[in-house]
Amino acid sequence: MKITDAAVFVHPNGDSSVRRMALEAKALGFDSIVAMDAPSCEYEGVTVYSGRCIRDRAMRDVIARVKQARDTDAVISVQAGDNGFNRAALGLKGVHILRGIQSAEKTAFDHVAAKMAADNRVAIDLDLSPLISTRGIARQRVIHRYLDILVLEQRFEFPLTLSSHARSILDLRSAREITGLCSLLGMDTEDVARALGGIGFLETPAPAAVRVIG
Amino acid sequence: MSVRPPTLRENRRYILARVQPAGTPIDQKELYYAISDAVTSLWGDGMAAVITPAVVAAEGDYVFIRCRRGTERELAIALSTVTGCRETKLALRILATSGTMESLRERKKGMSRSPVSAGYAPAKPAEGPSETPEIPEQLPEATAEVPEYQVGGVTYTVTHCDGQKVDVIEKGFKNTNRLFLTRPDLEKS
Repeated sequence: MKITDAAVFVHPNGDSSVRRMALEAKALGFDSIVAMDAPSCEYEGVTVYSGRCIRDRAMRDVIARVKQARDTDAVISVQAGDNGFNRAALGLKGVHILRGIQSAEKTAFDHVAAKMAADNRVAIDLDLSPLISTRGIARQRVIHRYLDILVLEQRFEFPLTLSSHARSILDLRSAREITGLCSLLGMDTEDVARALGGIGFLETPAPAAVRVIG
Repeated sequence: MSVRPPTLRENRRYILARVQPAGTPIDQKELYYAISDAVTSLWGDGMAAVITPAVVAAEGDYVFIRCRRGTERELAIALSTVTGCRETKLALRILATSGTMESLRERKKGMSRSPVSAGYAPAKPAEGPSETPEIPEQLPEATAEVPEYQVGGVTYTVTHCDGQKVDVIEKGFKNTNRLFLTRPDLEKS
């Protein structure tokens, strides 16, 4: 299982080159990173997945963009919106990750959306940057939202990914630090390891809906 | 007030952390305030009083942070939320935890490589036919000649080299951005 940071931003969207980000990620215990708007490559043993984040309000535009990106090897993620938007995005073929749940409205991700995520094998991303960089009520809200998502994850078992959303090598955190931060959400070491390896679902085929025995 | 006997003193733990980016001037007091703010914000006043964080030494890029024994985990989590000191953006990378500073110093000796930091020395245009100046293996003194590079039409000078890693800073007096690159990145630029 590859330990992956599911979203980093490299130069020119950040201040670190993709190679430097890969080097630092390796030093911090990662096997792979998802670099937004960067080509996929392998550097010093670290796999760099190309990431594409779609942030459109209209579902029509999202569908068009997902269709464009579907044929590439990019990890496609959609920025979460309201509940209807999220359900539609989760049902779209080709979407790998739903991001930004913490900044969406309270009812944006419910048990129906959770079931859809589990059925369609769409990962829900937990962005750790608000836990790291915000303070006070803003951080408390994010923790509360993530706790709610984790309750649904326990019940429906949809994939989770963890991302630092690092725009600099200074924003990256080691796998051990991430484990510590996730302990604030009640996640134990196994949960964190599973979430850090969450991007692995891209490489494993989806289990068949019906299995013929004998 | 007489000094307590060792059995009555509270037990401490020391955390060795490296400050990134390399070459950042560390003011112990300012760093203490940043850490104290992070601990209080994350764990509250009650737990902060139990942890009692303190920056006991800063040696080069390394800092020694003290806490009460048994609260290392909490302090480590709080340290991962430290993103800056005053206006300077930085990250603390925890390297080791120990009961004595002496053993951490031993560890530090084993870990410390010889990265090369350059001061803000005046740069001199590169000589020779090659357009891209050679990336220095060593920048022995602050007065060494530091090559310049063009990245996206902006001139940068090297501030730190460590193996493949090269930090460059925008040439100028104010609003100078730092970029974190590698040697192949500079060779291509």
